Amino acid sequence: MSDQSQGSPGTLQPEAKQRQSFLVLLIRKRTLMMLFLFVIIIAVFAIRTDGRMIDMRNIMQILNMMAVSTFLTQGVALLMISGKLDLSTGANGTLCGMFLAYVLRAGVPLIPAILMALAVGALVGVVNAALVNELNMAPFIATLATSLIATGFVILIAQNRIIPIRHPVLIDYGSYMLFRFNVGEFSFPGVPVSAFLAFCFMAIIGVLLHKTKFGRQTYLVGGNPQAAMLSGINPKKMSYILFIICGLFSSIAGITLVSRLQSANMQGLVAQRFQGITAAVLGGISLGGGTGGMAGAFVGLLVLNTFSNGMTVQGTGPGWQHIASGGLLIFALTLEYFQRRQNEKIVA
Amino acid sequence: MNFQQSLKRRLKSKESLLFLITLLIALAFFINNRNFLRIDSLQGIMQTMSITGIMAVGMSYLFIGGGIDLSMTFVSLFSGVICAMMIRSGIPWGIAVVLTLLIGAGIGAINAFFVTKIKIMAFISTIAMSMVLQGVNLILTNAQDIAVAVADGHTFAWGSRTIWVFPVPFVIMTLLIVIYGVILTKTQFGRNVYLVGGNEYAARLAGVNPLKVRAILYINAAFLSAMAGIVFTSRMRSAAPSTAADWQMNAITASILGGVAFGGGSGSMLGCFIGIAMLNIFNAGLSSIALAAHWTTMAQGALLLIALAADFVNERSRQKALRVKAEVPSKVTAKEGA
Amino acid sequence: MSDILQFTGISKSYPGVKALQDISFSAKAGRVLALLGENGAGKSTLLKILSGDVRADTGDITIDGEKQTYSSPYDAIQAGISVIYQERQLVPSLSVMENVFPGALPKTKLGTIDRRTLRRETKAVIEKFGLPIDPDEPVGRLSVAYQQMVEIMKAYRRDARIIAFDEPTAPLAEAEIAILFKLIQQLKEEGRIIIYVSHRMAEIFQVTDDIVVLKDGKLVKTLTTCETNEHELIQAMIGRDLGDTYANLKRNDKLGDVVLEVKDLCTDMLHDINFTLRAGEVLGFAGLIGAGRTEVARAIFGADPITSGEIIFEGKTVKFKEPKDAIKAGMALCPEDRKDQGLLLQRTIRENTTMPILKKIRRGPFLDHHLENTLTHESVKKYTIRTPSINKITRELSGGNQQKVILGRWTNAKNSTKLLILDEPTKGIDVGTKAEIYQMVCDLAKTGLAIIFISSELTEVLNVSDRIIVMRSGHITWDIPREEATEENVLEHAMLV
Repeated sequence: MSDQSQGSPGTLQPEAKQRQSFLVLLIRKRTLMMLFLFVIIIAVFAIRTDGRMIDMRNIMQILNMMAVSTFLTQGVALLMISGKLDLSTGANGTLCGMFLAYVLRAGVPLIPAILMALAVGALVGVVNAALVNELNMAPFIATLATSLIATGFVILIAQNRIIPIRHPVLIDYGSYMLFRFNVGEFSFPGVPVSAFLAFCFMAIIGVLLHKTKFGRQTYLVGGNPQAAMLSGINPKKMSYILFIICGLFSSIAGITLVSRLQSANMQGLVAQRFQGITAAVLGGISLGGGTGGMAGAFVGLLVLNTFSNGMTVQGTGPGWQHIASGGLLIFALTLEYFQRRQNEKIVA
Repeated sequence: MNFQQSLKRRLKSKESLLFLITLLIALAFFINNRNFLRIDSLQGIMQTMSITGIMAVGMSYLFIGGGIDLSMTFVSLFSGVICAMMIRSGIPWGIAVVLTLLIGAGIGAINAFFVTKIKIMAFISTIAMSMVLQGVNLILTNAQDIAVAVADGHTFAWGSRTIWVFPVPFVIMTLLIVIYGVILTKTQFGRNVYLVGGNEYAARLAGVNPLKVRAILYINAAFLSAMAGIVFTSRMRSAAPSTAADWQMNAITASILGGVAFGGGSGSMLGCFIGIAMLNIFNAGLSSIALAAHWTTMAQGALLLIALAADFVNERSRQKALRVKAEVPSKVTAKEGA
Repeated sequence: MSDILQFTGISKSYPGVKALQDISFSAKAGRVLALLGENGAGKSTLLKILSGDVRADTGDITIDGEKQTYSSPYDAIQAGISVIYQERQLVPSLSVMENVFPGALPKTKLGTIDRRTLRRETKAVIEKFGLPIDPDEPVGRLSVAYQQMVEIMKAYRRDARIIAFDEPTAPLAEAEIAILFKLIQQLKEEGRIIIYVSHRMAEIFQVTDDIVVLKDGKLVKTLTTCETNEHELIQAMIGRDLGDTYANLKRNDKLGDVVLEVKDLCTDMLHDINFTLRAGEVLGFAGLIGAGRTEVARAIFGADPITSGEIIFEGKTVKFKEPKDAIKAGMALCPEDRKDQGLLLQRTIRENTTMPILKKIRRGPFLDHHLENTLTHESVKKYTIRTPSINKITRELSGGNQQKVILGRWTNAKNSTKLLILDEPTKGIDVGTKAEIYQMVCDLAKTGLAIIFISSELTEVLNVSDRIIVMRSGHITWDIPREEATEENVLEHAMLV
């Protein structure tokens, strides 16, 4: 692209309308594509399940399911935007949930117990950050190792038992429905507290990312750590903060899970450990860092959760669900490949 | 004199240090518990280490060539299930084994495709593959173990036999390590693996296609995982859809413990073997002093971190040493170069 | 008839830059040919074309009258060409012998590697060169010099007819250079064609037989080494059409107080750097690549650690732990490599502009998008950045506009920049935009900014700066006002001992 072709200097020129095929547009605008996919998934499953999929109660079920994975996703998504990664979220969350149940049963009051669980999550984050920043380890292998250690602690605390949760506040948090109302025939079952909280957090993080210095710095560090450093940002400090935030969100996810199940077990979040990454990648947050946002991640979550719920409603076994989530992850990563190629074409 | 020189080099190498550490670990547990070094408990260790050992061979090759495969556990579980089902349906076990190995290699080819062609980061695309295989396993088995109902005399029960004092799986693993060790050090392909992992550009200059070499490594890793799965099935006489033990993490830890550099370019099969032995003796030792599973898991995570950290410290000190060398080279070279 | 390597009509252009134009010359067997030229004259592009890394737009390379059609480095090696770069093509964990024979190892009847033959042949090569290297030693444990020797042995083993060296002596000490020259002499006597790229005058007279001088991508002179002298070479390297670009430059003539004073600054790379800089002054840093100019900038900016010395900024001695402190104090650095260190290519102009001032454009806890837009619009206008929108992704801008975005980052209303360091601000930028940037630099000086202007283009430094500092291998060799500087005397101080 030569300078002259872009019009006279100093004034903003309207961009020449490039004819883009619909497919190219979808590849470039990931959120749009995911919304498109979301609608298709809903439609297909609604038809296949005779409308049970879009039944009000099922929608609430989806929201309920989404609470945990929404918490998991936002931490990982933030980290990924800054160019790092955390594979220990599942183990970390499980540990925090288990720890909460354990200290509650040991007689610790609720607030200190929750604070302690959060502290455990943050501690795992600090360890991850230290391994990555001080010892130069690749984030994925370092966090895999810490997830092993966290799992060890889970087994240590659980001793193969299931620890019940009896605290009313937590039970309410897990199951109470907000905004429940009846109007004549129509009854709205309400939104689960945990889901409501998760979405609020997601919105807040979204606003933070978009509107604040902290959010902007997250993008800058992810986009080019060298340039960020030369512009007066401390990439190491950012990395610590973001790993800690990710640990905290994993912890909240774990707490949410045990509140909903009213008990803590050793499986915990193991099945969901890669959901955060999958949702983020689906939503257009690349593994390389510096791109994407919470809106995309949210739509990615929607796709992921409606898809797996649709299969459950339809009666598909857990086997197919595993296949589907693996398939979705590969699909998302392949999309990234096409997007990359598209970008290269534009520059060339 | 040449022999002496090479002996000296061997003694000073990383492998012999690791071997010494392994012996010390074993000794420590032996002092604590005299039963630790009895033949049957040693046989137990050998049995356990062979599954992850076979995988560690594939993982080490990948590491040396600059890759990683996180689908190995599920490839081997899947292969075990396939193999068991085939034998149950009456296919002769030899044919079943060969077919299973081929299927394993096929899965490796898919991994290779995504990593080398679509250029997805290896660790994430292989995680996705492992999710898919996990699902396939559940569907195939209905979440039940699949027993291969064979009598003691049946030939497929080889997994639980011994040759002299050595369990057959251990013999298989040792053979594989020897064969792969020879390939790595004695053949052109082995050199190519180091070249690709150590300096991709240099590899291309030498006429080596890095993508092709990596693809072969992924196929090989899945092939060996399938073999591990078959060995497991033969030993247990049944196949499981899932396992609590994270085999591939064991393989990763063993490889890195054995001095195989995570970033690529260095490592040896001997080191890999010592790594496996060290890890398993350590684990067995922990359970021999009656420490439960959580300690094993934690200790393994800690070992992995220590190995990674050692790698980092080692690399840094090497670079520092080089820098010192570069700063005062004139004395040395002037004397020698004249 | 002796072997001949012939370049005919080689041209290569990159977007906005003509790297090589119609280069034709030949190199003869048994002779060492030097490629000489300023930074950016096109030497490295030529080497890359020779090694098959880059394809020429037009022109041919012929060896013995045979046209070469290779398209990859591997093909070039097969054709008998080895280029030895500073960046080593070795595997540190493998032994010397395995590195010397990377592609084709000798094999036994069984198809395994024949170690004995391998060792013997490697030893033969080592002995031929008379080097104290053990063939079994991992290359990573060798010193930089010996690693380079291994690289040469690799080329020798391949029986390369043409061996090119890219600045081979840069990382070497005196004694090691002697060994290298002995090797080159040996290779030459065997009738190989040697191409030697170096900035060091003394070496060129020591080892080469012929000299080709490049300038701005054109061949300006072919000389025989024994018939020329240093001054003739320097004459050939300089002297370009100035045109009106510099004559029309409106310079700043009011200098203010001293802003920056550097006293006895030392780092790993730098030795006793001393200079002062006044407000409104443009201080040019000239020198060859690797002379330490970028390192001075990074040391002042707190990006690299300082071993000793003092930096006095606005009358206060400062010690920066990280660039953040330097920015807070009022310094700004536009780094040498726009893409690696300057820009966030996948983010917008707006985000790239406000990177260092996020703290100052907040309203409450939030970023003030309105203010951010206003600032970005101002900088787009001030620097005539050609773009349809301030939300355009910077990857899609031309090099010149990218550089202007970085300028805008440091010089808008919310910056408190008092010292602006520009490292190679016109690298890879077309001529028209270059002229714009020169005027912008002068305009910025007029507003009282102190500017450090680092460039490898001599004419540029000489004409834009008020004062020029010449550097060579980590030392300041000369500090002169612009009026006294000529391309010739500056180049002498940059190249000669």
